[in-house]
Amino acid sequence: MQENKFAAAFKQNAIWLVFIVEVAIFAYFNPKFLSLANIVNISRQVSYYGIASIGMTFVILIAGIDLSIGSIIALVNVVCAYLMMNMGWNMWLAILVSILMAILIGVLNGWMVASIGIPAIIATFASQTIFRGCAYLLSGGLPIPGVVLEHPTFGFFARWSLNRWEIFKSMGEVGLIPICAIIMILCFAVGSFILNKSYFGRYFYAIGGNEEASELSGIRVNKMKYLIYALSGFFAGLAGIVLLSRSGSAQSTAAIGFEFEVITCVVLGGVSVAGGIGRMSGVIAGVLIIGSLKSGMIMMNVSEYTQMVVQGLVLAVAVGVDCFSKKRQAS
Amino acid sequence: MYEISGELTPYYEELDPVKRLEILSTLHDDAAPFLRELYDGRYSDHEGKGRQNVDWWLWRCLCLQGLYSRGGFFRRFRDRETAAILRELRMNDNDEQHRTFLYHEYRNTAGRYLSTCRSSGYASRFMGFRQASDDEKVMKACEDIWQMSGGIARVSGMGEKMSLWVEAFRDELYGYDDICREEYERLSREE
Repeated sequence: MQENKFAAAFKQNAIWLVFIVEVAIFAYFNPKFLSLANIVNISRQVSYYGIASIGMTFVILIAGIDLSIGSIIALVNVVCAYLMMNMGWNMWLAILVSILMAILIGVLNGWMVASIGIPAIIATFASQTIFRGCAYLLSGGLPIPGVVLEHPTFGFFARWSLNRWEIFKSMGEVGLIPICAIIMILCFAVGSFILNKSYFGRYFYAIGGNEEASELSGIRVNKMKYLIYALSGFFAGLAGIVLLSRSGSAQSTAAIGFEFEVITCVVLGGVSVAGGIGRMSGVIAGVLIIGSLKSGMIMMNVSEYTQMVVQGLVLAVAVGVDCFSKKRQAS
Repeated sequence: MYEISGELTPYYEELDPVKRLEILSTLHDDAAPFLRELYDGRYSDHEGKGRQNVDWWLWRCLCLQGLYSRGGFFRRFRDRETAAILRELRMNDNDEQHRTFLYHEYRNTAGRYLSTCRSSGYASRFMGFRQASDDEKVMKACEDIWQMSGGIARVSGMGEKMSLWVEAFRDELYGYDDICREEYERLSREE
């Protein structure tokens, strides 16, 4: 019995072991990998796909998918920058409107999936194309530079991304942790709370596990799908704002292929593509693994093309392991 | 064990709450008031949202299944929630006659869950693009039933209190498909 408990605990936390081994390997080949500056850098890099992965976790838990998040990020980037730079809007208002727009795109996805009945992969792929096009239309395909998301009492975003060493000077209040990483941690805390302690979390698992039984037991499945896709839109929008704060320039080409990185993080973290199974702690590990992998490969001078190959392989292996374990159970 | 009069058999075989209510209203058995109490507890509008025929016990099955996979940091929360559900599902009722009716009500709940396990979307893969085969659906149903009965009883350490629930779910599953007995026993050995 004790052995079984140990085996179960090991199985549940094996993803963290993978992370530790990965870090050890990179640290062995390049001792600078574990330097404070690099750790801070990784935390900043992973922050925006960490935030987006929370919404994607909810979507995959109900056996759905959201391929539109990369385009949402690009559009949020462009719209926020456009409102601030071309129309002279207040920063907070521009952020609010951009995020509301992201939520609306999520609702549109939910409507296509739940009410029209379009398979999630097709509906969100259509959204991806539509809203990427909107981003190009609005920006004319050109970047909108000089965006500074800053506030006297909350002056965090772009200033720190201009010079990575500046964090040591200007972040006395929060130590060495970049604000974007703090936002990610807060989002993960909220996501974890939703999944583990709220009724909504139970609804997500129930719908992913057995949609018909969920319906019979009183869950308004369609309404929940709207909510979940809206949440995915919200987190993608927030990730877009974080990305804009880091880059200081809005690009309609931002976050191309980003959804696959996020899906890799989520699936690698143990969220089943069949729905109904997954934990937020696993997703955090998935995000850290992908972040470390990217950083480690850059430090080892691995070419960008090879990095793409490796990331694709990681996604294939993660989904393959999930499918294989399901197949083994069924045989 | 858990034998009931022939008059009650159609009531317990029926899965639709509306039809069950019709049958219940025609019953002249002494147990009818208790059955009505159970019926109201199971199908009433607990959330006060004006929704009729919501199967509250089925929802509790899904909750128990969700709680099964909680561990680590959320273990205490899981055990507290499980205990609350046990009270709600009257698993602490020790009256011999009541337990007989509860056993059949639990089996009916399991039966209703299993009736959803034949649907086209159940156990499908890749966002519904690949439908599961019949065998895959049966295996998934076994796993689900295990998690919401024997599994949660084991991980929460409440096997004794949940014995009637576990027994009812297991018996209903064994009648679902030929391979269920073997699969359920495998799951209970493995976990």
